Amino acid sequence: MLAYTVRRLWQMLPTMLGVVLLVFVLFNWVGGDPAYLLAGKMADAGSIANIRRQLGVDQPYYVQLWIFIKQIVTFDFGLSWATGEPVSQVMATRLGPSLAVLLPLTLMETLLGVALALALASVRGTLTDRLVMLACTVAMSVSILVYIIVFQYGLAYRLGWFPVQGWGGPQYVVLPVLIGLAVSLAPTLRLYRSFVLDEAGQDYVRTARAKGLGERRVMWVHVLRNAAIPIVTQVMSNLPALLIGAFLLERFFGIPGIGREVILAVERSDFPVIKAVTVYVAAATMVFNLLTDLLYQAIDPRVKLA
Amino acid sequence: MMLLEIRNLRIAFRVDRHTTVEAVKGISFSVPHNATVALVGESGSGKSVSAMAVMGLLDPAAAIIDPDSRIIFDGSAVRGKDIAMIFQEPMSSLNPVFTIGAQIAEVLKLHMGMRSAQARRRTLELLEEVGIPDPAQRIDAYPSQLSGGQQQRVMIAMAIACEPRLLIADEPTTALDVTIQKQILQLIAELQQRRGMSVLFITHDLDLAAEIADHVVVMCKGEVREAGPAKQVLTTPTDDYTRALLDCRAALATRRRAPLPASASEAPPLLEVRQLRKTFLLRDGWLRRRTFHALENVSFTLARGQTLGVVGESGSGKTTLGLTLLRLHQASGGSVLFEGRDLLAMPVREFQAYKRRMQIIFQNPYASLNPRFTVGDILLEPLRIHRIGTDDRERMAMAHSLLEKVGLPASATARYPHEFSGGQRQRIAIARCLTLRPEILVCDESVSALDVSVQAQVLNLLQDLQDELGLSYIFISHDLSVVRHMADQVMVMRHGAVVELAGTEALYGDPQHPYTRALLAAMPHHG
Amino acid sequence: MRAWRRLCADRVAMVALALLAAFLLLAALSAAGLVAADWEDEVGVSYAPPLFAGAMAASSVSSAAPAQALPDNPFDPLADDIRALRAQLASATATTGVARRATLPLGGDKWGHDVLKKTIKGGETSIVVGLVAALLAVAIGTVFGALSGYCGGVVDDFFNWFYSIFTAIPSVLMILAVAAVLQQKGVLTIVLILGLTGWTAPFRLIRAEYIKHKAREYVLAADAIGASHWRRMFHHILPNVSHVALVQLSILAVGFIKAEVILTFLGFGVPVGVVSWGSMLNEAQGELLLGRWWQLAAAATAMALLVTAFSLFTDALRDALDPKVKP
Repeated sequence: MLAYTVRRLWQMLPTMLGVVLLVFVLFNWVGGDPAYLLAGKMADAGSIANIRRQLGVDQPYYVQLWIFIKQIVTFDFGLSWATGEPVSQVMATRLGPSLAVLLPLTLMETLLGVALALALASVRGTLTDRLVMLACTVAMSVSILVYIIVFQYGLAYRLGWFPVQGWGGPQYVVLPVLIGLAVSLAPTLRLYRSFVLDEAGQDYVRTARAKGLGERRVMWVHVLRNAAIPIVTQVMSNLPALLIGAFLLERFFGIPGIGREVILAVERSDFPVIKAVTVYVAAATMVFNLLTDLLYQAIDPRVKLA
Repeated sequence: MMLLEIRNLRIAFRVDRHTTVEAVKGISFSVPHNATVALVGESGSGKSVSAMAVMGLLDPAAAIIDPDSRIIFDGSAVRGKDIAMIFQEPMSSLNPVFTIGAQIAEVLKLHMGMRSAQARRRTLELLEEVGIPDPAQRIDAYPSQLSGGQQQRVMIAMAIACEPRLLIADEPTTALDVTIQKQILQLIAELQQRRGMSVLFITHDLDLAAEIADHVVVMCKGEVREAGPAKQVLTTPTDDYTRALLDCRAALATRRRAPLPASASEAPPLLEVRQLRKTFLLRDGWLRRRTFHALENVSFTLARGQTLGVVGESGSGKTTLGLTLLRLHQASGGSVLFEGRDLLAMPVREFQAYKRRMQIIFQNPYASLNPRFTVGDILLEPLRIHRIGTDDRERMAMAHSLLEKVGLPASATARYPHEFSGGQRQRIAIARCLTLRPEILVCDESVSALDVSVQAQVLNLLQDLQDELGLSYIFISHDLSVVRHMADQVMVMRHGAVVELAGTEALYGDPQHPYTRALLAAMPHHG
Repeated sequence: MRAWRRLCADRVAMVALALLAAFLLLAALSAAGLVAADWEDEVGVSYAPPLFAGAMAASSVSSAAPAQALPDNPFDPLADDIRALRAQLASATATTGVARRATLPLGGDKWGHDVLKKTIKGGETSIVVGLVAALLAVAIGTVFGALSGYCGGVVDDFFNWFYSIFTAIPSVLMILAVAAVLQQKGVLTIVLILGLTGWTAPFRLIRAEYIKHKAREYVLAADAIGASHWRRMFHHILPNVSHVALVQLSILAVGFIKAEVILTFLGFGVPVGVVSWGSMLNEAQGELLLGRWWQLAAAATAMALLVTAFSLFTDALRDALDPKVKP
């Protein structure tokens, strides 16, 4: 197990290097000269040159690349161009609120999704099944923006059940999580249903029935245990992406999370923040993929440590 | 009083909202107590469907059983307890995420009300009874850690755990090697005797039925053609279909072609293979590689107009041999001399010309034809690549004549492969090979996937073509009877190496190597 | 082809296809300038309500009617200028001749634009962006996937490295990062952004298909009869794999339409002069507080209809083309 992990970590290096290169090319080369942006409208040549020197963009490219790599390794990306806050602090403080919404949402969505998928699988092919699937398709076709706007207006503004915006205590988490659940339930259900149905069509299910086991046990013990494999791996590998994915919820509700930070940074052309987030989320994704593979090998006996 | 009596069983499958297709058309037969009944038929005969109906495993949404059908079981008929079933593919029939001990214990806990410790003890006993070596270790193993034969034994243990009175076995040995087949059959026979249970054995193999059954029921296209005591049905059949089936197998017992005159064997061999080696390097992660020796120093010669039979079990390397000869796999060593020139050493461009002279027919008729090409495209493709014929009209004429030669209508050129049966697809594949007028044809398990009656037709076609065109064959198969029928010389392979190489009569009559002897002993005999 | 027949037999799919075709037709007409070309004309009064809600809203509109004349303020230094401006405005409306309508079919926005026309034009934007970007992504993904899957070895390693970089960064982040860097906005920009980041899914699927088919016997047979690598890759294998690409095209188009709406909403999508459902939703957020719900309803409903129809059609397409279903 250890040798495998080490080997995988070693394999991550070329990808990480590629990500660093991509981010560098994107922001330092394509992104162009930020000095004009930062200097403001009435800047003279002197202050522009000054800014350039401070940011280090007057250096040749390979020097800039080296600086970038050093920054990544030491977790120090300098200061945010917009607020002057140290980028590392920005990231550290924003992680908490993001997770506070993300974790309950993922948990509830997975449990609900699995239960509903199993329930649907037992009525597969019937009208109920088809109607539910149609409802899911329609639910998925309404933009998340509409969900947020309508729910926020209806439940928070008009009915006053929840605070409209802000961050301060558990009551601020409820509505975002509810909306997140409403939006993600349909696609999750579709996906889990397909996993469950794939398993339900396998030969071992026929054997289980031949053994005389009741339908309940066949679905909830035999099929679920097998379907759990793709479900768990999918949830695990999606976690880093969800950090950013909740950006709309965060923006609408004023939750000071990473997603909202990224949006603000894009609006303000705050390159250090965007670069840092990109590089670290990429690293987190790769690490989580490794964890997912290790977990996969733990829960699927067919897979041998390669 | 019969243990199981089936009267007028009629099953239809729902194809779409409006149409149904009748799979079983009112069959009746019975299974007596303490006996083995073989339900014999080719694919599509409805034998498996009937068995599933007895078990109550058919999906009511897809299969409609006629209400007038009667399935009468003598006594309690709890599924999994009184009637049990084992299936063809043991690997996929076992739940991959539970240990075999857990899966067997599950059935004991459910039907016999046992507690965990008791169930575990009983499981160990069962594993011992079905012949699993070292049961104490294996009980906590997962199915993927066992071999095919062991998996099937586990399935059997699971089935007999609750002392069923009827065991239904749906082609349980078809997916296994010949030597393992024999062991499993012996096991089932022993269990049947010892426990006094009845076995309903479903198979397509008449020879197998002859070996194990007391009674035989022959089915064809959803109907029962003949039923009765085994000896009677198999030696003096009354139905035409049964007679035809028996004739096909009997024909294999004799060789059609006379042995060669002495002069022919003095001519220089067409193909000479020396020390052919093929090693696969399997990636074992980032840096490690595992080597797998598929072929080890294989040597043989093939004369013009001759057939060399290659036999072996799965993993023996016989398929790799065929692919390597044609350079579809890259050989790791050795030489293949075709009319004196080494094919393996040739540069690619030069070899292109020789490609025409050696062709291959694959095993799976469903995979060897491009599903998106019409039969016409398939036949024209080799002609186009090698620029044979001046234009497509001329090539199409060639295609038509070839189709005629293999016994298919010219109108086939406009149709797609999926519209044809397995046997017809193999003929198309043969026609494709013939477009290039090869001299050597490698038949890689070319009839193994076909029904017995169709097999005979394709084999006859191959022999006719050999007589007419003077082709040489390398006939690869695991079916010893078929090889005996077709080949002049036979080469036995095991784990990539040649175990024995001799003339057909010599090999079958007086095998030298112990492995050859074991193989021949495992062959089901007729009568 | 039998797949087409299977598709035609599916009634739900046919309804979805009809709806989809209607949208595409509208989009094409709009692109050609035959329909909704004059969406920028301010033909209605501010926040004109939709026809069906006309009576109810008319009262509230009239209450927001131009203010009554205020009493003169002697201390107001700008009083004379304002009086002059008011006189000018009054004469201007008198000369234009076309009175502003009190209600519009689906209502009007703050400037009096016809919401119906905006919806159609917005649909054109979203559909064009979605389809073209999907086409680009699938084209790139298919070529890369074919080369990678068929050639294997170093070529495969290179493309996989490339793929792992793109998938390590969540696509949302990737899109936002590129949007941050590309200063000029425009439909072409957003098409490029979506297309150049979305090739990963088709790549993975096509590559897997090529690896699977390369080992199939019909490809070995093609080798045996002397077909070259290129011929095998594109003449023999591609027809067997094209259904995957087609389904991916459909799936990506749906995803990109939704993505474009969100991006435009945030301000990173199409520029200000181009109308999109995203910009409509952006305006709608503020309008809702004033009780004006029709622009939200129009954009949301139109988008929901299109995406539902497209999604249903995609599902049916996948089922019809799936070789798993034995004929």
